Amino acid sequence: MQGLLPPLNDHNLPWTDTIHPIVVHFVIAMAIIAVIFDLIGVVARKPNLFEVSFWNLLFATAAIFVAIIFGQVEAGLAEPYGASRSILDWHSTLGWSLAGVLSLLTGWRYVIRSRDPRNLPLPFLAAGGVLAFLVVVQVTLGNQLIWVYGLHTVPVVEAQRAGLVG
Amino acid sequence: MSTALLAMAPIDQLAPRLGPNDLPYALPIHPNLVHFTIGLFVIAIAFDIAGALYPVEKRVFRFLALPVTREGFHDVGWYNLLACAVVSFFTVAAGFFEMLLAVPIAGVKSTIGLQSMETMLWHGVGGVAILLAIVAMTIWRGFQRFLWRKDMGRQVQWLYLLVGLGLFPVLGLHGTLGAELAAEFGVHITADQLLASGQSLQEALP
Repeated sequence: MQGLLPPLNDHNLPWTDTIHPIVVHFVIAMAIIAVIFDLIGVVARKPNLFEVSFWNLLFATAAIFVAIIFGQVEAGLAEPYGASRSILDWHSTLGWSLAGVLSLLTGWRYVIRSRDPRNLPLPFLAAGGVLAFLVVVQVTLGNQLIWVYGLHTVPVVEAQRAGLVG
Repeated sequence: MSTALLAMAPIDQLAPRLGPNDLPYALPIHPNLVHFTIGLFVIAIAFDIAGALYPVEKRVFRFLALPVTREGFHDVGWYNLLACAVVSFFTVAAGFFEMLLAVPIAGVKSTIGLQSMETMLWHGVGGVAILLAIVAMTIWRGFQRFLWRKDMGRQVQWLYLLVGLGLFPVLGLHGTLGAELAAEFGVHITADQLLASGQSLQEALP
């Protein structure tokens, strides 16, 4: 794998900056806003918003596979230490699971939309709530990897290369 | 006693509540709101482009058996931008709060050749400018949707899409400055701040 990539920089990356956190903009924002627009659509009786939710959900699903590809490469180069090892494991597991959850919800939504685009069954709204919860958990795990453990940040990579990190 | 109070820097008033990451909480808020500002803006413009080019792509969607309406695309363009404008006030507010507490690692120069204060100034002032641009775009979009182009299939002007696309690289550069504040200057990153203060990660972050 290493042989396929350009030389690693001071972030221990073959490219300038981590790409995964950029791609996840589109998973996080689109998934959460889809749930919020569904909720507003039901409460305020604005069926137009269901269509907006559908497209956002479809986009979140497309984006999560790109996020996983970059996530796996960057995780492979992250050299986690201490408790961040198991956090990264959980983040990877939940990431793949979310790809499944998002795909399933998008498929279900496609069927709902094909039958009656102006009505949203309440079970789907509940499923959206579960999705939002899983996304929040996943974001919290990812946050810990960067904001607590500083994976792929210059000071941590420097310390790792000097053999100062376990 | 009064001289002791005068000698105290304003930051010291908060000091007892700050963790090793220089924040009163473990995970910064601004970078999480940024997901919404960037994601919603980019997708809003992308779907308005899809709506504008609808006559071209109609056949593709028919081929995919995916029922599509032009209004649907433009609804995504409008509502996502509206949500972007709302959330971005909080993005900027959280950004300023967290920048007040930022302690960039000394002596670092970023990949694009800026020092920490320069990076923070560009990111701070640029952030306000981008918020203004987003709000202006939202108002412009609203005029097109509800007045100027109310009865037209293509709800947006080409110029609007062009300006929107022009903002993509601005957002990209701006985001790079923010990413450098974290991953190079170690702002609000526990591990980086521990290392900068000479502590061992093996002991401090087991």
